[in-house]
Amino acid sequence: MSSDVRFTDFKSDKQPTWCPGCGDFGTMNGMMKALANTGNDPDNTFVVAGIGCSGKIGTYMHSYALHGVHGRALPVGTGVKMARPDVEVMVAGGDGDGYSIGAGHFVHAVRRNVDMTYVVMDNRIYGLTKGQASPTSRSDFETSTTPEGPKQPPVNPLALALASGASFIAQSFSSDAMRHAEIVQEAIEHDGFGFVNVFSPCVTFNDVDTYDYFRDNLVDLQEDEDHDPNDYEAAKEVILDSDKEYQGVMYQDENSVPYHEQHGVTEDMSEIPDGAPEDAMDLVREFY
Amino acid sequence: MAEDLNWAVGGEAGDGIDSTGKIFAQALARAGRHVFTSKDFASRIRGGYTAYKIRTSVDKVQSVVDRLDILVALTQRTIDENLDELHEGSAIIYDGERSWDAEIPEEMTAVDVPLKSLAEEAGGAIMRNIVALGAACEITGFDVEYLDEALEKRFGGKGSKIVENNKEAARAGQEYVQENYDLDHLGYNIDTTDNDYVLLNGNEAVGMGALAAGCRFYAGYPITPATSIMEYLTERIEDYGGHVVQAEDELSAINMSLGAARAGARSMTATSGAGIDLMTETFGLVATSETPLVIADIQRSGPSTGMPTKQEQGDLNMALYGGHGEVPRFVVAPTSITECFWKTVEAFNLAEKYQTPVFLVSDLAMSVTEQTFPPEAFDMDEVEIDRGKLVDEDEVDEWLDAQGHFRAHAVTEDGVSPRAIPGTTDAAHMSTGLEHDELGRRTEEEDERVHQVNKRNRKVETARENEDWDYREFGNPDADNLIISWGSNEGALIEALDYLEDDGIDVRVISVPYIFPRPDLTEEIEAAEETIVVECNATGQFADVIEHDVLTRVKRINKYTGVRFKADELADDITDKLTEEVPAQ
Repeated sequence: MSSDVRFTDFKSDKQPTWCPGCGDFGTMNGMMKALANTGNDPDNTFVVAGIGCSGKIGTYMHSYALHGVHGRALPVGTGVKMARPDVEVMVAGGDGDGYSIGAGHFVHAVRRNVDMTYVVMDNRIYGLTKGQASPTSRSDFETSTTPEGPKQPPVNPLALALASGASFIAQSFSSDAMRHAEIVQEAIEHDGFGFVNVFSPCVTFNDVDTYDYFRDNLVDLQEDEDHDPNDYEAAKEVILDSDKEYQGVMYQDENSVPYHEQHGVTEDMSEIPDGAPEDAMDLVREFY
Repeated sequence: MAEDLNWAVGGEAGDGIDSTGKIFAQALARAGRHVFTSKDFASRIRGGYTAYKIRTSVDKVQSVVDRLDILVALTQRTIDENLDELHEGSAIIYDGERSWDAEIPEEMTAVDVPLKSLAEEAGGAIMRNIVALGAACEITGFDVEYLDEALEKRFGGKGSKIVENNKEAARAGQEYVQENYDLDHLGYNIDTTDNDYVLLNGNEAVGMGALAAGCRFYAGYPITPATSIMEYLTERIEDYGGHVVQAEDELSAINMSLGAARAGARSMTATSGAGIDLMTETFGLVATSETPLVIADIQRSGPSTGMPTKQEQGDLNMALYGGHGEVPRFVVAPTSITECFWKTVEAFNLAEKYQTPVFLVSDLAMSVTEQTFPPEAFDMDEVEIDRGKLVDEDEVDEWLDAQGHFRAHAVTEDGVSPRAIPGTTDAAHMSTGLEHDELGRRTEEEDERVHQVNKRNRKVETARENEDWDYREFGNPDADNLIISWGSNEGALIEALDYLEDDGIDVRVISVPYIFPRPDLTEEIEAAEETIVVECNATGQFADVIEHDVLTRVKRINKYTGVRFKADELADDITDKLTEEVPAQ
């Protein structure tokens, strides 16, 4: 890792095809800043993404990256981290990718506490398929597939994480650039699964969860001196509060031990002998 | 050929049938005898008929036959299920004190041993199976001391008291038969030799091959009959700095394995039919992102959940054609337990040399069957590792474009691009399931698309030229009639040759371990008068590809009862087929 890495080093020369004004620009910039601020460099960073607008991020960032199939980015990230505990792993997804098709993987990556950072670009809509309801859409949100609104309550991703045993839960707003980058940085620095749900407005299809809406309604936990992220009960109260939208670190378990450390995995698995291991005949003798 | 002995223990699942059989098999192997085991089991935890069968001889044995000489029957159903294999000289060991009234055919030797009471005297009813093993030793004249060795291996970790009690239980069974029956070993002669054999099954051989080949990461989801690979690796892979993850589902398992592979680890996942269906989603991504990955499919009866504990070779079409779109893959299918080891090693090399997914296709019969081998059959000095075009820092420069970007999907003559793993300076790049350019970036440009498709397909052509896609051959190479087989049928076919020879029928047997690419059998088929393809499925999937390759009709022997081929049965089938009219051209 070199100390003179700047956030632009994580930028590729490919121009994003996100809509002008898309929240994902700010979300990505904050991720790049946070990676640079934590002393990582592109050659030591692996970014995984799934499908959708969020999935394009690997193309616009410069690092080792995999753009995979819908909803399965977290398992890919888990494999990378287990094979290479020395590599910084960042997984990006959207609300459909993460909380619908990938909801099962989300629960299990959280409970395993794999040491990676999971940034979800939550715009409460399916953008790339042109405006259908997502798992985080409001129950009265009218879309092409839900003309009267989905009617079901939205998934609360923070509560889902908490219930799954998360060790780090945070939320940020892509337009609040400094705070967003700071929060992602805290997630990277956390030893374990660092989960950040990012309000990343869709300017084309979502006219409810807009920049203005979040600006007017967002409460920053940093300004609440009483909120202690290490206090599970306090975190629960904030996360289950359906009247307000918060940003900041809701919860952090100070005793978090990442999955690879729990399992004693420390070695770089990419290095193997030229032939069978020296004591490999012992494997055969076991069957005597 | 020395006479072989066929022995079985049967009862309900949960009766310890598997461990009883395994202990006896190990005792026979310790005595320098060859062993071949087979299992009948049901998809339930307790109850239901289950049996463990052993065929043993001083000569090599590699199939099951329709004969049972000694049966340890813990239930009446065990006798009923095996009636067609029992014969006049068979002996049945049972416990007459138990509540069921054993109905033993008159012409057979009924050996009533109070298994439970004798076990209780030795220290616990749980050892009734060991009492039966002692009785079996006495009936056959097999030295009970070999059983002691197997008991030490099995129970050594539980303390000397347990071992001693078990030995005592075995002696009790042996002495009871000695004192109460005058059988004179029923004429059996259990010869021993000084040979040292190892006893293992196909899944253990796959796991061992993976470790020898440097596999460091495995993610899987439990499924019969693939799970024992995961269990084998879980116990051992950490000794080599690796790790096994029990994933939340098969989709996750293959994606985790993909992640580890991209990070540079030799990585593997294994499953069976229903799990392969789920993994198929990611299969195309593995191929198009050019990630080296070994995907083992231990076939069982399908479709859907089919018959989870029964044999079939029905997934060949899936391995060859599964996944949407067109993607290159290799399909390797071991034909024996030793091949399970060697082909696994080869699968890892192929995966890395060609940066392609490799299907390692085995089947239930091979996965649960244990067989004896001289340890040299798994000579670790012969294991070679080839990591292909894995570039280090010094080689990166050759692969940078004018702007300094690493061309991870460079279009090359042999179709194989350079591969850089995280940490390699200046080689950061992305890969994607989208069609992409040389840098891995999305493109829909016509020429780029064609270049990348051709490049990926060229790997197969390169591999066709550079690797040995050979076959194994048995029988008479000059015979008029040719039998072609794949997977675990090989052992039964080799033994069927003896039966055929007795009837004056001469055949050439070709056993093919490579499904794609595969050896070109045109010459062999053209030279033969008749060609028969033998496989455990209903439609003849391998016969179809052979016909496609050679543009000639072949005859087919298909078995899809859920039970593997038996040597004697196969000999009859072959005889019948050879006299059948040739299908219309």
